[in-house]
Amino acid sequence: MTTQMDNMEQSARTLWSDAWRRLRRNRLAMICLWVVIFYTALAAYGEVVYRWHQWKDITPSYQQTDLDKQYLPPSLFRQPFTVESGAEVGVMERMSSGLRELARHPLGTDGLGRDVMQRLIQGTRIAYMVGIVVSLIAIPIGVVLGCLAGYFRGRVDDVIVWLYSTFAAIPGLLFILAIAMVVGRGLLGVYLGIGLTIWVGLCRLIRGEVIKHSERPYVAAAHALGLSHARIIFRHILPNVFHVVIVTFTLMFPAAIGTEVFLSFLGIGAQGEPSWGIMISNARLRLWHGVWWEMAAATTALFFIVLAFNLLGDALRDALDPRLRTGRQ
Amino acid sequence: MTQSNNMLAEVKDLRVYFDAESGPVRAVDGIDLAIGQGETVAVVGESGCGKSVTSLALARLVPEPPGLYAGGEVLYEGRNVLGMNEDELRDLRGNKISYIFQDPSASLNPVFRVGYQIAEALRLHRRDVKVREEVINLLRMVGIADPEERARVYPHEMSGGMQQRAMIAMALACHPKLLVADEPTTALDVTIQAQILELLTSLQNQLGMAVLLITHNLGLVAGVAHRVYVMYAGRIVESGPTEEVLTRPRHPYTRGLLDAVPRLGGTSERLKGIEGVVPNPARLPAGCRFHPRCPLRQTVCEEKEPILEQVDAAHASRCHFWQELSET
Ligand SMILES: Nc1ncnc2c1ncn2[C@@H]1O[C@H](COP(=O)(O)OP(=O)(O)OP(=O)(O)O)[C@@H](O)[C@H]1O
Ligand SMILES: [Mg+2]
Repeated sequence: MTTQMDNMEQSARTLWSDAWRRLRRNRLAMICLWVVIFYTALAAYGEVVYRWHQWKDITPSYQQTDLDKQYLPPSLFRQPFTVESGAEVGVMERMSSGLRELARHPLGTDGLGRDVMQRLIQGTRIAYMVGIVVSLIAIPIGVVLGCLAGYFRGRVDDVIVWLYSTFAAIPGLLFILAIAMVVGRGLLGVYLGIGLTIWVGLCRLIRGEVIKHSERPYVAAAHALGLSHARIIFRHILPNVFHVVIVTFTLMFPAAIGTEVFLSFLGIGAQGEPSWGIMISNARLRLWHGVWWEMAAATTALFFIVLAFNLLGDALRDALDPRLRTGRQ
Repeated sequence: MTQSNNMLAEVKDLRVYFDAESGPVRAVDGIDLAIGQGETVAVVGESGCGKSVTSLALARLVPEPPGLYAGGEVLYEGRNVLGMNEDELRDLRGNKISYIFQDPSASLNPVFRVGYQIAEALRLHRRDVKVREEVINLLRMVGIADPEERARVYPHEMSGGMQQRAMIAMALACHPKLLVADEPTTALDVTIQAQILELLTSLQNQLGMAVLLITHNLGLVAGVAHRVYVMYAGRIVESGPTEEVLTRPRHPYTRGLLDAVPRLGGTSERLKGIEGVVPNPARLPAGCRFHPRCPLRQTVCEEKEPILEQVDAAHASRCHFWQELSET
């Protein structure tokens, strides 16, 4: 008799475990998840390296210039180096020195003789920093304002809708440039510039969901129980719309990274740090002389992380969609 | 109403309107209602005649906007509910007046375990009790077998009847003096309906609370409610002791509702309902609000709205011709 209702109402436990099961069956999504995990590990490793050098107060190798090793191609594309042939050099020695050579600057070096792979890893670290800090700025703003607008409606709603419409109307790049002008060039400007504009989409989605949920009987029941507005909004409604936050996060993260790379490329992002954008910008200079590896490394890294996050976000949206939640097991 | 001093809750000439583009929707339009300590009072009427709005107004729960308390007052133990501030209201809700709603599966939050939701009510209003044990006690009290186990499940893992029992446990967590049950059995199977009503009656005797039972089924109130208010289009059209109203209805609408109740044994007779539908509260007819559907209407009904006349000390009817209804 109430099976229909039962189907519509899903518990947290089944919601998340169902979503996970559905995600697990999606081959592509699982590959993307592994790609994301791989990048995350790289970023974490980069952070450790960065901290360690800071703590030791030494110049990290990815910043050390070595003009003897300018524009060294990736190891696979280097001239097979010559070992003095002689009877005393055995096969084992040849192989191990060959491997050592392969591991030396595997992605080559840039115009100042700095290791591209290490810089790439640092670029991943910076990309993650931007993704994380931007999310930490944008998600609380979007969630809180969206909840307030959707729950209270009326005047509060008008003000918040006006606010995000205004933010949405400002061209993003212009806003970021203005912020960079105020706080100076550097990552702080990037964090604020992206973080303060990217919340609009989340806010809109949360508002819509909260409006729907505010009319559900369980909210009326919570009122009748004497719960405060804050508790109803953040303890009762928010967990029911949280899937929106997760999906938005997986789409917001690569968007923030992409914007950061673009800004750094233009020279108003990261300063003096090996962001992917800086790498691409530097690589432009000698690209037509056949120095392609720095450009290739940075763009490929950016391409795959953006792709992986976006595909994962789409898969998550499908997996968490309440309309799809009912049917297939 | 002479005994107004010892009434637990009273509604006096209450008017609740809703904003709509076409003008104010007069969902509740001048209602008087009284609930004594430990008494069961039923409000009966068709869908859309303002029962839920009336019941929500008791704890000022009608959302404003779009709702608007346009007049009258609501008294709880002599204090004006409509004049209370947020803190006083929160202390009233769930603590002194509790609600159970029509659809238990939608009234429980799908993301929390049942035990947690009951515990929340306890933590809010009763800081002195051991929450875990009290939750188990409450679940046992509402007739849920294996309460330790049941406290840990999610709402959708329970049957409808079980969910409604859990809702009742939640509502009773703070031993309210007034329990408002808004169509508590409408969403349930017939067999379970009876069980839930029985449970409510026995809990009421056990705890000595008053119950306001809202229903559209006049057949349900016999043997349950002490007094009945029959509501139509935002007004009370008849009120009195249950026995009296069920056996000697003095309003054609009440008679229509009674005819609509299916009875055992009366199978050969076709079920007589009332023709037509409840008028849209934004466009109420002139004169008696029931006259377009009334089998006994006269010209006077189209012009003059009847007042609520006392049939006897406890029984009242809002019909020009209540005296003529007595014989039939
Ligand atoms: N939130 C609201 N906004 C606008 N109008 C409302 C709202 N709630 C109720 N109404 C109006 O008030 C009138 C009475 O509604 P109410 O819910 O009290 O009816 P009811 O007697 O409880 O019916 P039911 O048996 O269907 O529950 C309805 O006609 C409805 O249009
Ligand atoms: Mg109702």
